[in-house]
Amino acid sequence: MSRLEARHWVFLGLFLVVLVSMVLQVDLGVTVSDDSRRMHDYLESLPPGSTLLMSFDLEASSLPEMRPLALAIIRHAVSRGHRIVGVALLAEGTGIGYRLLEQVGREYGKVYGEDYVFLGFKPQYIAAMLSMGESIKQTFPEDYLGRPYDSLPVLRRITNYAQIDGVISLADGSLTTHWIEYAGNQYGVRVSAAVAAAMVTTYDPYLASGQLHAMIGGLRGAAEYEQLIHRGGSGLRGMLAQTTSHVYVIVMILIGNVAFFLGMRKRRAG
Amino acid sequence: MDIGTIVAGLLTLAILTFLYRDNPIYKMAESLLIGIAIGYILVITWTNSLMSLLFRPLLNEGAVWLLIPLALGLMMFGRLHRRTALLSRIPIGVLIGSGAGVAIPAMLDARTLRQLSATVGPVITTGGVPDVSMLVVLIGVISTLIYFYFSREHVGWWGRTARLGTWFLMVFFGTTFGYTVMSRMSTFIGRMEFVLSDFLRVIN
Repeated sequence: MSRLEARHWVFLGLFLVVLVSMVLQVDLGVTVSDDSRRMHDYLESLPPGSTLLMSFDLEASSLPEMRPLALAIIRHAVSRGHRIVGVALLAEGTGIGYRLLEQVGREYGKVYGEDYVFLGFKPQYIAAMLSMGESIKQTFPEDYLGRPYDSLPVLRRITNYAQIDGVISLADGSLTTHWIEYAGNQYGVRVSAAVAAAMVTTYDPYLASGQLHAMIGGLRGAAEYEQLIHRGGSGLRGMLAQTTSHVYVIVMILIGNVAFFLGMRKRRAG
Repeated sequence: MDIGTIVAGLLTLAILTFLYRDNPIYKMAESLLIGIAIGYILVITWTNSLMSLLFRPLLNEGAVWLLIPLALGLMMFGRLHRRTALLSRIPIGVLIGSGAGVAIPAMLDARTLRQLSATVGPVITTGGVPDVSMLVVLIGVISTLIYFYFSREHVGWWGRTARLGTWFLMVFFGTTFGYTVMSRMSTFIGRMEFVLSDFLRVIN
């Protein structure tokens, strides 16, 4: 223990704060933001049977944050009777996308191939986005499980973006920007996003300019969405820990600054 | 409890040991993560890229035109030897040329023209009341642009406006940093939830 440095105490404190908050499981209640409500209203406004293209543009490292967001969106879409066509434009998103769609499909008794489908991964995301604008079948001749495109009832009416009611990019990086630029601006498809909190400021200008239709971000966005669809999940469960850990970080910043300035004064005096 | 949850739980704890200091347990978990990720990406890329887009259509469907991208791809390996390095410039040229051709019009439209159009809005609403948010945007954009204009010395009113621009930049950096901290906390909370619920079963 003699080797513990100041940073270790800070980490240990954060660990304890999160641990206690998680164990307490107090429901803080979440104020729903306009952005989350907009995304919710958008999915509500689509008639049942609408087709949404969900792109799993994420990596395993961001899964703890992105999973609650993705689950909340997929659950809402599926519960509203929308059909989902899943794709992955990052290789790591392939297994993630398929498993999440399968999980929600099982929860709601939906049938793979009829209510939802996962087309898998395609490299060179810009080429894939442009290619889907011409023909989704040519881009993905078969689905993730190797079934031919034409054998899947959910894809029967779908040729390209013209038959897609909206694209939702589930992204932890910059892929949403490309969806806006290539699918949104060039093919006129409505692009929305569920993104990691770190990317919110990147996409805010696109939301303000109307290029991005709706956006929810981070664990907070997931919690708000879970509240809107009346179905608790990791987002709402993590809100107390999120709040207390942020307060802890702010207190640490204040203590660090006070210690720094006191130290500086001492050094000047001595 | 299934074996996957046990392995994931133990590996999560192994990664967390780094908080104390770098150690062999952390290194093992990190190497395993990187190895599995690369292996997974290789398999997915081989199946979805080389097999489905190149070898299968070329060999099964006789799509001979695919020999052109195959040849260009092989030329890339020219970089591995000094005498053949020049060959790699051809596919790099094709990549950059086609990439720029596709990207420039799209980016110019989405990132410049539409953003510019969204920035320039009326500062007075139809009711004759000033639109505060548009005023903030106007002042923020102008002062920040002045900060990045280095052909004139930042003194006098020009310098004061440039300094105002730095305040806008600081607010942006602060917000971005705050969101990034939020993101990292969310990841940590997500892993803690997994450890406490699925692995240790302390919480429901």
